[in-house]
Amino acid sequence: MNSDTPALQLRSLRKAFGRPAVDGIDLQVRRGELYALLGPNGAGKTTTLRMVTGLLAPDSGQIEVLGIDLAANPAAAKQKMAYLPDDPMLYGKLKPTEYLEFVAGLWGIAPEEAEPRARRLLDWLDLSKHAHELTEGFSRGMKQKLALAGALIHEPELLILDEPLTGLDAAAARQVKDLLVSHVAQGGTVILTTHILEVAERLAQRIGIIRQGRLIAEGTLEELRERTLGGSLEDVFLQLTEQA
Amino acid sequence: MKAAPGSSLWLLRHELRMAWYNSVVSGGTRRRMGWASIAVWAVTWTLLHVGAFVVLRRLGTDGSMDPRFAVVATIALAAIAIFMLSSSLKASVLALFERGDLDLLLSSPLPSRSIFTVRLLGVILACAALYLFLFGPLVHVGLVLGQFRWLGVYVAIATMATLMACLGMLLTLALVRVLGARRTRVLAQVLSALAGALLFLLSQSFSLLSQTTDAGATERTLQRLADSPWLAQDSPLWLPGRAVLGDPLPALGMAVLGIAAFMLTVGLTHRFFVHGLQQAASNERALGKPAGAMRLRFRRNLFDTIVVKEWRLIARDPQLISQVLLQLVYLVPLLFLVLRHNDTPGPGIGAGLALLCSSLAGSLAWIVVAAEDAPDLLQSSPAAGRTIVLAKLAACVMPPLLVVAVPLLWLVVRAPLAGVLIGFAVVAAVLSAALIVKWQARPGKRSDFKMRGKENFMCSMFELVNTLCWGGLGWLLVRLTNETGSAAGSTALMAAGAMAVALLTLLLAWLLRRRPA
Repeated sequence: MNSDTPALQLRSLRKAFGRPAVDGIDLQVRRGELYALLGPNGAGKTTTLRMVTGLLAPDSGQIEVLGIDLAANPAAAKQKMAYLPDDPMLYGKLKPTEYLEFVAGLWGIAPEEAEPRARRLLDWLDLSKHAHELTEGFSRGMKQKLALAGALIHEPELLILDEPLTGLDAAAARQVKDLLVSHVAQGGTVILTTHILEVAERLAQRIGIIRQGRLIAEGTLEELRERTLGGSLEDVFLQLTEQA
Repeated sequence: MKAAPGSSLWLLRHELRMAWYNSVVSGGTRRRMGWASIAVWAVTWTLLHVGAFVVLRRLGTDGSMDPRFAVVATIALAAIAIFMLSSSLKASVLALFERGDLDLLLSSPLPSRSIFTVRLLGVILACAALYLFLFGPLVHVGLVLGQFRWLGVYVAIATMATLMACLGMLLTLALVRVLGARRTRVLAQVLSALAGALLFLLSQSFSLLSQTTDAGATERTLQRLADSPWLAQDSPLWLPGRAVLGDPLPALGMAVLGIAAFMLTVGLTHRFFVHGLQQAASNERALGKPAGAMRLRFRRNLFDTIVVKEWRLIARDPQLISQVLLQLVYLVPLLFLVLRHNDTPGPGIGAGLALLCSSLAGSLAWIVVAAEDAPDLLQSSPAAGRTIVLAKLAACVMPPLLVVAVPLLWLVVRAPLAGVLIGFAVVAAVLSAALIVKWQARPGKRSDFKMRGKENFMCSMFELVNTLCWGGLGWLLVRLTNETGSAAGSTALMAAGAMAVALLTLLLAWLLRRRPA
């Protein structure tokens, strides 16, 4: 695969639920960058991500994950990515280790590779001491961290996160942010949506702003500032979403 | 009813209103109590009055009562008490943890004693309501006929409800301290499920006992029991029954006992009530096992991984297990019959095994396939959908087949042809039940297991027809092995018909299968 191949390429992506939810989005996310997708509630962010991860079929348009056409070869595309929705996809009656065993099984990771990764991730995310507990008793932050461990166990090249910091305390949020930065530093790609604009401002290399299913602006924070009256990302975001 | 805001009466009104809302809310959605429902209840109640009138007229109006009735009434009251205890546990858990308004009440200036008094009254009402509805007509008709002794029924029901509510509430609070709120809730649900099963087994054991031993032996055993001074007709053991029949002293004694229990429970426990609740929130994770060495068991095979995951999820959900495996309780008398008979197995065994296994497989299939906790995780993974579905189906058909494997083998050894035919009906019933649920069931939550029939009418109908057809086929095939001539011909024809309907049902379920959104 060519190293110039984007991590994610969307072409004229559309999806309607009665009215258009995603209305012809064209988007390119480069490999090794952290891309923040911002937008007001109901803008179409989650719908876009769910189509990218194969959870929703687009009405039209094309999705390529690391050069692989998702529609033509979904298994190969999914093998390279991981999705973490705002509501973690966990099983309350499984222990963290059992959850990771299950996720590793879904992604077909050999036991000899999966086991050290699971240990490393649980240690890193401070979940080892809770390895014998059922996840139903976990706090929101612990659940989110476990879901993140599950997303990382197959070492995805593209990590897609929908509101990963919702409901986390400061320490857990810091751990998640560090993990995302580390993933990008190791050559991985991260796409995230967030309502915490400060996170996007500090972490993202590029930012896309989506409104009513359309990508209305995209670029680095500096580029976005140039298009508006400047200021913080919050100012830029509000100006762009109100202008459109 | 006019009541000063904040008074116990005012709080009781709130309690009754909440009880009413709970009775008209189903599966998170509110359904209206329509005129049709009210009419059904009214007609039923009228019919119960008619029934009570017939019974009381036959008993006569001279006021005398066979003393053996006290024994029967005590046993009936004891059975009702078991159900009341299970209801009170459920109602207590609901009142303390599920309704979610206690934080509001306890943070208000209302005295906790009032809150607890009213909550306990609510639980008593929840325990007594059904029995007041069922047996109240006896009292009303008795009053009309001048048989005032039947007022004892009200006294007995109210007292028993009070005693069981107090016991249930205290038990709940004690359990919350020891186990935490979540485990207490599960335990209450398991106990309430077991209460019904226990009574079923007791009733069946008596009938099986009469079938397996000679009539004389049963008679002698009962006579020996009757001769015991503890069980004599004037034994104090039957006082509750005498209270039911309106004997003034026992009735008064019961009423005093109930009031004392109520006062004592309120007086001693309202502080514990508050403390227990606070304890509940912090107790949930304190009971976790101490962390030892982390054990990881990664498997190479996705199929095994999924099957193990599904079994783990079911095995760790006692509430679900109690609801699903309750069906197995009804297998016990059937298995007893399978292992007892020395002659050829009766057709009822074939039908019973097929019916129960089909029902069990359908329930498990709903849990495993329709109530998947993380469908997005499966769908976003690169794992082949076919492998996931096959593993899930295997996870839900294996348990019922394993459960009947031993009795089936026993049947095959004893009566090879009948055993093989029953085995065929059971396997077909199990597989088709699982497939029907896979094709027809709507996604749902595990916690809605009991509501699945109402939420998905079409699937329930397919399941029902399928179960009846394979059960019927099991019955007919075994009967066929004992018949000859024209009788065998007509049975074979009926068996072919049952199989055709079963296969048609399966085909229809597949044709009308739900497509992913």
